Amino acid sequence: MFSHQPQKTVLESMPLKTVTVRMVPAALARATPAVLILLALTLMALHHANTLPVERLRVAMMDAAAPALTAVSAPLSSFVEQIDGVTTMRTLKAENIRLKEENIKLQQWYESALRLQAENQSFRELLNVKADPDLNFVTARVISDAGGSFVKSVLLPVGSLDKVQKGNAVMSGHSLVGRVTEVGQRSSRVLLITDLNSRIPVIIQNTRTKAILAGKNQDLIKLERLPPDSGMIIGTRVVTSGDGGQLPPDLPIGTIVSIGNDGVWVKPLSDIDRLTHVQVVNTDTDQALMTGDITLSSPGMPVYKSLK
Amino acid sequence: MIGNESLLRTVGRWGLALLALLALLALSAIPLEIAHLGEIRPVFMLMAVYYWTILRPSSLLPVAVFAIGLVLDLLSAYPLGMHAFIFVTTQWITSGQRKFLLGQSFLVIWAGFAFIALGAGALQWALFALFNMTLLSAKTMLISVALSVFLFPALVLPLSMVHKALADDPSSVP
Repeated sequence: MFSHQPQKTVLESMPLKTVTVRMVPAALARATPAVLILLALTLMALHHANTLPVERLRVAMMDAAAPALTAVSAPLSSFVEQIDGVTTMRTLKAENIRLKEENIKLQQWYESALRLQAENQSFRELLNVKADPDLNFVTARVISDAGGSFVKSVLLPVGSLDKVQKGNAVMSGHSLVGRVTEVGQRSSRVLLITDLNSRIPVIIQNTRTKAILAGKNQDLIKLERLPPDSGMIIGTRVVTSGDGGQLPPDLPIGTIVSIGNDGVWVKPLSDIDRLTHVQVVNTDTDQALMTGDITLSSPGMPVYKSLK
Repeated sequence: MIGNESLLRTVGRWGLALLALLALLALSAIPLEIAHLGEIRPVFMLMAVYYWTILRPSSLLPVAVFAIGLVLDLLSAYPLGMHAFIFVTTQWITSGQRKFLLGQSFLVIWAGFAFIALGAGALQWALFALFNMTLLSAKTMLISVALSVFLFPALVLPLSMVHKALADDPSSVP
């Protein structure tokens, strides 16, 4: 047990400022669980009422934790790649046959794509169409996906220093997986398209019907605000419409897999729960392109600026 | 006065406890790409809060548990205070049952964790429903709780090793 008398004497002999500084952590350390529970509930209520600068706090925490998370997640990522490598070895022969067949098909597609590109180019010239700006891509490894079952978001170790901006589209391979919602200097948060708060303006590719793709915290995403009798067909692709100007148009998202009383549901083209590397799409003109540091292999092809 | 050896021991203890907490925090945040584990991520931090509240309450001050909860809230984009609320509530309930749980077999402690994990999951589900004013699917939450209960003994082993290392007299610890 402590005796109170000597403690009092020490405190009394200190200048007032020192006493205050020392007493605050001591009071915090002694804070009872009931007080802390009340404090947590108050924070939640204030957050819900949008009276706290939560975004600024999150960005500061993201920037502070990004280097550590990058360092810690790298070995695990390479371990998973090793396991994937061993698994792939077993199915190598079958995979090789499948790839050869796919390659023949793709060669045919490539030929027709070249023909269509030339045709498209000549039409554009005839009509004097203003070309869409080229897309710049910043590739990054996912360093955190702590949201679990209730929040679908990931952290990337690229931020405003890498010219990432709020609202940028984020793709995995060739399809959209989310958009940037918070940007720090060296990190950014991506809200995935499956999150409950995600709303993406889309177009159904064959009918050109516009709709909103709304995340439901599930594997499938729901098409909302569809006009009645819009003639949906299972297997149809859904792409971004570009409405609102935040996302570039015609980025593939997924295909319609279910049409029923509970609505029309879309399955994303990417495996959203197992994202390892993603590309942040930046439509802004890149200085490197202006100065000629990076040359495009062909117009419209992605430019990989940095791999973190 | 604290002797040099004793001071070194105290620093070592706190360092080890801090290291264990940081490792668990990292496990709660980094991508677990194996078999969709990210979505049904076990609640590692809840295991530590529960187990250490029973075996070594002095190594986890409620304010530290609260702070860890806030860090996790900011990293995972949860409503600010939700993890903090769940962790401190878990610590409070567990410390109330500490005397009972200390004398019990590991199976009872394990069952206690199952109860706590399910309660924490249900609370989180209810709070999210309230925040978003919509009923969410509880499937992934229930799978995450089941996985956490299944993995509890595996995580308790390293936690108990840290606990032994922190003890004054390691031989006195079960």
